[in-house]
Amino acid sequence: MDQPDARARAGDRGNTMPPICNPTAHLSRRALMKGTLAAAGGVVMNWGGLTGTALGEEAKKERKHCILLWMNGGASQFETFDMKPGRPTGGPYRPISTNVNGIQICELMPKMAKQMDKVAVIRSMRTSQVDHPGGIYLMHTGYQPRGNIRYPEMGAVVAKYQGLGDSDLPNFVKISSNGDAGAGFLGPKYQPFGIGAEGGLPPFSTSQKPELDEKRRNDLRSFVDSQFVETSRSEVAKMHRESYEAARRLQKARQAFNIDAEWAKSKDLYGDSEFGRRCLMARRLVETGVAFVEVGQSSYDSHADNASWHRGLVPPMEHAWAGLLEDLKQRGLLDTTLVVWTGEIGRTPTINNRAGRDHYVRCWSTALAGCGIKGGQTYGESDENGAEVKTNPVTEGDFFATVYSALGINPKKENYAGIRPVPLANFGSNPVKELLD
Amino acid sequence: MFGSRTLLLTLVLSLVAGSAGRLDAQTPLREVIDGQVRAKWAAEKLTPAKPATDAEFLRRVTIDLVGSIPSYEETIAFLESKEPTKREKLVDRLLEDPRHAQQQADTWDMILFGRFPPGNDADKRLGFQAWLRTQFEKNVPYDELARTILKAEGLSTDGPAMYYVQYKNAPEDATESITQQFLGVQLQCARCHDHPFEEWKQLDFYGMAAFLARLEVVTLNRKGSGTESTFVIGEQEVGDIQFTGPAKDAVAGKKGEPVKPKFLHATALVEPAAKDGKPAKFSNTAPPPKPKFSRKDRLAEWIADPKNPYFTKAIVNRVWGQFMGKGISHPVDNLSPSNPPVMPELMETLAKELIVHKYDLKWLTREIVLSQAYQLSGAGDGEAMPRLYHHSRTRPLSAEELAECWRVASGWTPSGATAAKGAKSERFRPLESGYMLRFFGTPNSGAGDFQGGLQEHLYMNNGPLGSVIGGKGSLSEFVGTASKPVEDRVRRLYLQTLNRPPTAIETEKVSAYLKSGGPAADAVWALITSAEFRFNH
Amino acid sequence: MPSFDPTKSKLVYQLTFGGSWPKAVAFLGDGQRLAAGNQFGQIYVWNLPAAPPAGAKPGGKDRMAPNLPPVRRLEGHVNEISQLAATPDGKLLISTSYDHSVRVWRTDGPAAGKAEAFLDGSTRQKAPGKQAAKTPEPSEGVMVETQTASDILAGHANWIFALGLSADGTRAITGDTSSNVIVWDIPGRKPIAKWAGYPWAWIVSASLAPDGQTALVSEYAYKRDDFDIPPPALKLWDVATATEKLDILKVQFPKLDPKIRTYGSSQAWRKFVADGLITTAFSPDGKLIAAGQGGETDTGKVHLFDAANGKLVRTISGHRYGVTSLLFSSDGKHLVSGGRDTQVRICQVADGKEVAVLNTPRGGQFKDWLSALAISPDQKRLAAADIAGIVHVWEFA
Repeated sequence: MDQPDARARAGDRGNTMPPICNPTAHLSRRALMKGTLAAAGGVVMNWGGLTGTALGEEAKKERKHCILLWMNGGASQFETFDMKPGRPTGGPYRPISTNVNGIQICELMPKMAKQMDKVAVIRSMRTSQVDHPGGIYLMHTGYQPRGNIRYPEMGAVVAKYQGLGDSDLPNFVKISSNGDAGAGFLGPKYQPFGIGAEGGLPPFSTSQKPELDEKRRNDLRSFVDSQFVETSRSEVAKMHRESYEAARRLQKARQAFNIDAEWAKSKDLYGDSEFGRRCLMARRLVETGVAFVEVGQSSYDSHADNASWHRGLVPPMEHAWAGLLEDLKQRGLLDTTLVVWTGEIGRTPTINNRAGRDHYVRCWSTALAGCGIKGGQTYGESDENGAEVKTNPVTEGDFFATVYSALGINPKKENYAGIRPVPLANFGSNPVKELLD
Repeated sequence: MFGSRTLLLTLVLSLVAGSAGRLDAQTPLREVIDGQVRAKWAAEKLTPAKPATDAEFLRRVTIDLVGSIPSYEETIAFLESKEPTKREKLVDRLLEDPRHAQQQADTWDMILFGRFPPGNDADKRLGFQAWLRTQFEKNVPYDELARTILKAEGLSTDGPAMYYVQYKNAPEDATESITQQFLGVQLQCARCHDHPFEEWKQLDFYGMAAFLARLEVVTLNRKGSGTESTFVIGEQEVGDIQFTGPAKDAVAGKKGEPVKPKFLHATALVEPAAKDGKPAKFSNTAPPPKPKFSRKDRLAEWIADPKNPYFTKAIVNRVWGQFMGKGISHPVDNLSPSNPPVMPELMETLAKELIVHKYDLKWLTREIVLSQAYQLSGAGDGEAMPRLYHHSRTRPLSAEELAECWRVASGWTPSGATAAKGAKSERFRPLESGYMLRFFGTPNSGAGDFQGGLQEHLYMNNGPLGSVIGGKGSLSEFVGTASKPVEDRVRRLYLQTLNRPPTAIETEKVSAYLKSGGPAADAVWALITSAEFRFNH
Repeated sequence: MPSFDPTKSKLVYQLTFGGSWPKAVAFLGDGQRLAAGNQFGQIYVWNLPAAPPAGAKPGGKDRMAPNLPPVRRLEGHVNEISQLAATPDGKLLISTSYDHSVRVWRTDGPAAGKAEAFLDGSTRQKAPGKQAAKTPEPSEGVMVETQTASDILAGHANWIFALGLSADGTRAITGDTSSNVIVWDIPGRKPIAKWAGYPWAWIVSASLAPDGQTALVSEYAYKRDDFDIPPPALKLWDVATATEKLDILKVQFPKLDPKIRTYGSSQAWRKFVADGLITTAFSPDGKLIAAGQGGETDTGKVHLFDAANGKLVRTISGHRYGVTSLLFSSDGKHLVSGGRDTQVRICQVADGKEVAVLNTPRGGQFKDWLSALAISPDQKRLAAADIAGIVHVWEFA
């Protein structure tokens, strides 16, 4: 629960939010008890859920986080992880070696080449939705779109099972990404909080009123609510009040979304691009306890000029991705943060008359790194031209089962759509054991 | 005399016994309801909440019946009235209010389409919604309403045909929905395999789906006339649904066996032998011809029939749940043996009586809301939807109700041009329908539990509610008039927003707020965004 | 001054090509010797007589002009040939490639050996414009001489897109996808100037003024995200000092700022630049600069700028989809451009009027490409590389 004394003390100090450099110094139990993490406005920041009374319990239980790097439009596996040099389907890029013996990736990814010991690549994805809307739905929910059931996205599931009930920030944040399945039947509590392409907060997330007026009317409203909660004692009234408190905490916590100061220091690590900035924001949000952050890059839909498109998109992406892995590692967060890399579809082995590659889902690539994943490997193979899966096909269901398992979530857990129990990952799917630590 | 006294006593006793359990010509349904509910409480040793105050009842029933809170004037008039039958008169007034037809239309539109109808064509359905409202205005008997929807004749812009448009090329999806919505039967598991514990087999599912196998949604080329496409539901003379066995044994390209239509618990439909032939090509310029034998019509007739084992129970259960929170069987669309009604006799009684009253939903509604069971206070043990109705239920207002309640509470009045009648934009004015539906459209999880969530409060805190509050003649203007005594202003504030007088501590607190210079608009805001306002309880 | 009548053309050869699509062509000193390079890094050379030999037949159905086998294959590059250019005397051929190297070939040099070349044009004919997913079955092989480069010029560390020559062929300019530009002294086979454009940019085209003292460099990069679009550049540079002389794009768009990469700011120049001004040339008198819009843009236009002040003189040539290659006639009167609409358009420089169109569009919604153009020094022959795996040769009156 809240600690009014600590708050008052911290408020007196008038601290601005300290720069986040080293978790051990700032997130230590002692530092928290002393209230040294108080932000301007007097509210104790809920770093990773380590509130007063729950301290001991939370310190013991390590919550998991997930960052989804969403390659919107469908990145080409032939220009990233599944090189086919010398084959007619290979394209003009050449493979380079990595810091893992025997694994080669595209020359467009020299920084990721030094991070491959952390990464597990799946080269045998085999899914069924070849167009964007279907593919986006499929690879966000792990399910085929179905008329009568609204399946939840990966982010909503992770927010539900690894999110913190009373955190200051929403548990599912989406930065410049696609997919509108949302929380589906898990309920509006797990809807994504959407950040725009240039870091803008969603509509209505900022108060238009001066601080004092806000406080005055919020106090009045809290009073009104407290009267009703007391008389009716209804559980939904309590939920209403809790969500309101969460919205208020967000008002104060939203400086977590402002990364300008930190960007100046991190620009080289993440690369001077918008995607780099988004990845930095993701790292920062995960560090403050957000369970799931999705970061999008758009658009890989290279039906024409495939090689040029990838030369434009892949280098900033891989720079940021490598920077993210490095940053998470240095901050001691990589073991509890899963980084997922995927798009909605792959691209055709055949190059068309626009020098492009079209949609392809019979055989394509995705990648996983971090929490629960055994890095430094490739799983599954494609044939010599990259046209069909040769070994170990992985469906979207298997992929999701693997992601949830890596995050310590049982993929067979069920939620209800009406009276119908729905497991997190599709019936018949299984986590890929070789990928899990 | 001894003999006559005994006789009198016996008569009195038998009368008392009669009214407690049985409906007869003299005993209104509401009393039968109360008798049975009380018996259940006694059996479960539950102490019900005390009866609802006039203020509680007024607000609750007004929202339930017309989708809006009562105005300030209506509130005062009701609370001050000394008439002994004022509650009954209130209910009668509300049932005849044109807004009741709209409220019912909204309720049924949600049941039949939900917020996200499948397919892309049913999102805009002004014609259907207008038609639905007319049916409720005329108090069309429910069996006729159901039959009309399922027969789906005419143009979708005029009404019922729109229902099937959401299931274009998906007779299996339509089967799931129809059985759930009209019969309270959940067949969806049997789509892929024989049900694990219910009685339904896959062939039951496909037997029902077969009735819809010949349906085709035809898009008519119509010039002009608004943003809605026009569809008609055509039915072919030939065509069957193919059954390929359990889903887990499914093999791509495997041809299935055609399944003949079969009602649940019945044998296969007797139909004239279909002549061999290919399906006709329906043109886009005129509605297709009706087939000589319509499976769809047979299905509609079988469903909307008092002899159907599920139809009547499904509707009474649903209407009961609409006002009481949980259905007698809950969830309301799951009348399976593994989900027995908590009060089986009540279910039987309601079903029997609705048939006697020729499926008059208005009559049933009236009886339910005038029962004592409906008129309990909300102060209970915290459960939002008590299983045995021992206190009133708490449900979130729908997005449409919320917009209207905000307008009435704030005293907002429209000015300037009005949007097209019935357009969503008019429903939410001056707020925008897009955001309202996005943030308040689906406040519950898939299991039906309220969650609300962050977005609601961000919108209420930082969104355009200011355009509803304030303005000439508004509540905010009144409350902000410093020349008026502050207690009067606080009293008016509570009566107009929460439809009850403020308590002493509320008067004290809010008066202090206003006297210290707190803006009146924010006081109105605090009340209309509070939990007490957001729910019907 | 040699000239030609663009309205009087005749298709004289359609040469089957070995390997994948030809991407670059060049005449070697006269209209009888032609070189073309493909995506595998092979360069084939033909001897084309003034008139096709008697009995020479078209290479397949839908072909309208005779085919002749190549006589030589230049080997060494291991990735796509992006550009070919020959010195005016035809003695040297310069090639640039995605394999980061610039090679210089003596066109009259001795053969290193012989090899059998398989020309699969007839297989590709079945699916024009598309590269078969499986290796095409070889048709009959031809024996060709092989040759390696006389010199390999190192200095680039990434794909080389751009190549230009001064009028006398003693200087060359090359540019790569790491934004590096090198100006070379060809007789000495060494670099004489180096500079770089914007750090994110690719050098998509580079040309030298006829006197070799001034360079035109066109920079472009595909987007990094829909909302992260670095701006392009088109600039004149002084070769001797390796410094910028004139920012031509800035003359058109004064507000252009390399630090601003938003979607909104890209809209200002998008219509003008399309997917890059990927082909450029100085007019023979050095007074005009032509720059063609590439990519899948609606109308591939060529902008003509005044080389002295960078102002736009006119915009000409309306290819459907982008331009892939352009050149001036040696009398400066005509601009010849090839595009992604399978056509060659010849326009008058003075007024922009289109006077001739060669070839017919082919393909579905998106047409097949012509990738490169070359004109013989006597202006009598024009060669174009076709995505269908052939090289067209036209003759003008």
